[in-house]
Amino acid sequence: MKQLIRILMVLGILVALTVSAGAQGGYAEGTEISLLQWSHFVPRYDEWFDAYAAEWGEANGVGVTVDHVNFTEIFSTLAAEIDAGEGHTIVEVLFSPASYIDGLHDLGDLNAKASEMFGDRASTCQAASYLPVVDTYYAYTHGYVPDPGDYDIALWTEAGYPDGPKTYDDLLEGGRAIFEATGIPVGIGMSPELDSRMANRAAIWSFGGSIQDENENVVLNSEETIAAVKYLAQLQNEAMTDEVFGWTAASNNQALIAGEVSYILNSNSAYRSLQKIDEAAAANIGFTSALAGPAGAYASSHVWQIYVIPEYVEGDELEAAKQFILDHSANYSDVTYYSELYNFPCHASTVPELDGWLETDPWGSQPPNKFEVLKTVNDWSVHLGFPGVTNPAISQVFAESIIPNMVAQVALGEMNAEDAVAQAHERIEEIFADWRARGMVGGG
Amino acid sequence: MASASAALNPHRYLMDDRRFVGVIFLVPALLYILLLVGLPFLLAIAFGFSDVTVGNTELNFIGFDNFVAVWENDIFRQVFGNTVMFTLVSQIFILIFANILAIIFTQEFTGKWFARFIFILPWATPVSLAAIGWLWMFDTKYSPIDYLLLQTGFLGPKGILSNSRNLYWLANPVLSQISVIFVQVWRMTPLATVILMAGLSSIPTDILDQAEVDGSRFMRTLLQVKLPLILPIMVIALLFSMITMFGDMTVVYVLTRGGPVDYTRIIGLYSFQIGIEGGNLAQGAAMALFAFPLLLALALLMLRTASRAEVR
Repeated sequence: MKQLIRILMVLGILVALTVSAGAQGGYAEGTEISLLQWSHFVPRYDEWFDAYAAEWGEANGVGVTVDHVNFTEIFSTLAAEIDAGEGHTIVEVLFSPASYIDGLHDLGDLNAKASEMFGDRASTCQAASYLPVVDTYYAYTHGYVPDPGDYDIALWTEAGYPDGPKTYDDLLEGGRAIFEATGIPVGIGMSPELDSRMANRAAIWSFGGSIQDENENVVLNSEETIAAVKYLAQLQNEAMTDEVFGWTAASNNQALIAGEVSYILNSNSAYRSLQKIDEAAAANIGFTSALAGPAGAYASSHVWQIYVIPEYVEGDELEAAKQFILDHSANYSDVTYYSELYNFPCHASTVPELDGWLETDPWGSQPPNKFEVLKTVNDWSVHLGFPGVTNPAISQVFAESIIPNMVAQVALGEMNAEDAVAQAHERIEEIFADWRARGMVGGG
Repeated sequence: MASASAALNPHRYLMDDRRFVGVIFLVPALLYILLLVGLPFLLAIAFGFSDVTVGNTELNFIGFDNFVAVWENDIFRQVFGNTVMFTLVSQIFILIFANILAIIFTQEFTGKWFARFIFILPWATPVSLAAIGWLWMFDTKYSPIDYLLLQTGFLGPKGILSNSRNLYWLANPVLSQISVIFVQVWRMTPLATVILMAGLSSIPTDILDQAEVDGSRFMRTLLQVKLPLILPIMVIALLFSMITMFGDMTVVYVLTRGGPVDYTRIIGLYSFQIGIEGGNLAQGAAMALFAFPLLLALALLMLRTASRAEVR
C-alpha cells in the first residue's frame, strides 16, 4: 500500500511539473503562433527579431515561427489567408489595412491595454489602426518610420543653404541653382510607386490641400492642391530630370549612394546603406524636417509597422498573439535600436532613450547629432488620410497612384494643373462613393 | 485464342476500348481546366456581380454596378486601349520574327542545335526573372544600353538622340511603351518560333519537291506554298501568344508598375491594384472580366480561320 501511495505521489508530481511547464504563459500545451513579417529594410532588425521571437516563445511555452517576405507580397498573402480561413497568426503590414477590416479581429482590447500600459500614442499610429465609422480597431500599430529630407550638405552649402532647405521655396531656389551649376538634380518621384505617393502628398498638405477633409469628404479639387501641383511641376521642370517619372522604391537609395541627387525624401535606410559603404560620403548627408509650405510643414510617415490578427485565429493562439504584441511593444527600445533608429515607437514612453540616441547616434553617424531634427517628428509626421482618417477609400487611392500620376501629367505638360486635379478628384469621388456604399467610409 | 487471352487479362478489352482510353487521357487536362481555369473564372464572375472586399468574401449580389463603375472610370478606358495596343503591336513583331527564325532554324547549318538552345532561353526563363533583367537593362540611370549609346556618341552633350546621358527608357511615355513591347516580343517569340518550326517540318517534302521542279524560287515557295500550309498552326501560335500576353501583368508590374502616368498600365495590372492592393476585390474582378468577351471573340474568329485554312 505504501508503495502504491509513493508511486501515486511521484506520478502526481510529474503531472504537476508537466502541466506547469506547458502552461508557463497560461496557454494550453502545444499552443503555437506564427508571424508573417515584411523583410525589414534594415537586415539587422530581422536578425534581432527572430532571436527575440524564439526567446519569447520559450519563456511563454508557446511555439513561435516567423516568416519574412518581400513587402510587396504582404497584402496579397494576407488576402489569400483571410480568404482561405487559415494562415499566419499575426501579419505585419506597412500601410493601413482598413479594407481588410471584415476579415480581421477587433483589437480594441489590445489597443486599450497598450494605452493603459504605455500611455499616449502618436496620432499617425492611431489613424493607421482605427476606423471611426465602424468604431473598430482593426489593427495594432507598434511603430512608424519618419520620412525626413536627406540633403547633400556640400552642395546646399555652396548654394547658400548650409542647413539644407527648410521650405518648398528653398527647395525650388536651391535645387534649381544646384542643378544648373552641377547637373545634380533634386529627387522627388512622380511615378506610380510608394515614395512618390508619399512625397507628392507631403507637398499637397503643406500647401493646404488634401484628398479628404476631417469628415471624410473628398476635397482634392481646391486652389491649394492646384498650387501644390503647379509647384511640383515647376520643380520637376527646373530642378529635376525625367528620371522621376520612372522613380522606383530603390531610386532614392541608388541616387543617394551614387551621390547623384541633391535632395530626397526618404526614411533613414538610404542613409544607413551609404553609411555602411562610404562613411565620408554619409557624413556629407544632412537631414531636414518636413519642408514648410504656405499652410504648414507636413510629411507622411514613410511606412508603419502594423500588426493584424486575422479572424480565423482563436482560443489560446489568439491570446498568445495579443500577449506577444504587447510584450514586443514593451521591448521597443530594442526594436528602435536594432532597426538602427528606423522604427520609431508609437508609444513614446516605451523608448525613453530615444532623444539621447537622436542627440548621439548609437550607430556612429558623423556628426553624432545628425538625427536630432527627428525630435520634432510627431509635429509633422502624419498619416495617409490626413486630416481625416486612413479609410479603405484612401487605401485604394494610394494603391491606384492617383496623386503621383496627377502630378506627372502636369509636369509632363500633358494637362494643366486645374484639369489634372479635377480629373483626379472625379476618380477619387468614385472610389469614396463605392466604399461609402459598403458603410466603410464616413462623410457624404 | 483472343478470348483465352482476354480471360487471362480482363483489363485488356478495357484498355483496347478507344473511348475508354480517350477519356483516361483527357481526364488530367479536363481536371486542370476545371480546377485551375474554370473555377477561378466562375469565382471571378461571382465576385464581379457582388460587393466582396479582400476582408469579406461574402457574396452579396449587386447586379452590374461594378461593371458600370469600371466602364465609367476614365483611366480604365486608357488601360483597355493600352492592353489592346501592346498585344496587337507585339503580335505583329512576334509573327514576323517567328517566321524568319523558324525558316532559319529549319535549315541545315553548323551549330544549329546550339543556336536553337540559346534562342529558346527567353521562353524558358521565368518571366519575373527575365523582367528584372530587363529592368536593369532599362535602368533610368545605369542602363547598359544608354552606356553603349553614350560611348558611340548617340547620347551625351553632342549626342544625336539626346543631349542627356540617359534616354530614361522607363520614364519616358513613348520609350516605356516601346520597352514593354520589346520585352514581350523577346520572351514570346521563341514559343511562336517553335510552333512554326513544327509546322514547317510537317510539310510533306513531295510538295516542296514539286514546287522546286516547277521552278519556284525561295520567296515564291515561302509565300505561296509554305505559309498557306502552315497558316492553321500559325493562327494557333498567334492565339496562344495573344491570350498569354493579354492576361500577363508581370512584365509591366516589374518594369513600370503602369507608369509613367498610365502609359503602360494594362488591365491585369490595374485590376490587381484595385482588387488586391486597393482591397476592392469586386471591382478588380469586374475589370478583369472586361477582357473576356474580346478574347473569346478573338479566339473563335482565329480558330474558325484556322479551321477553314485547314479544310482548303
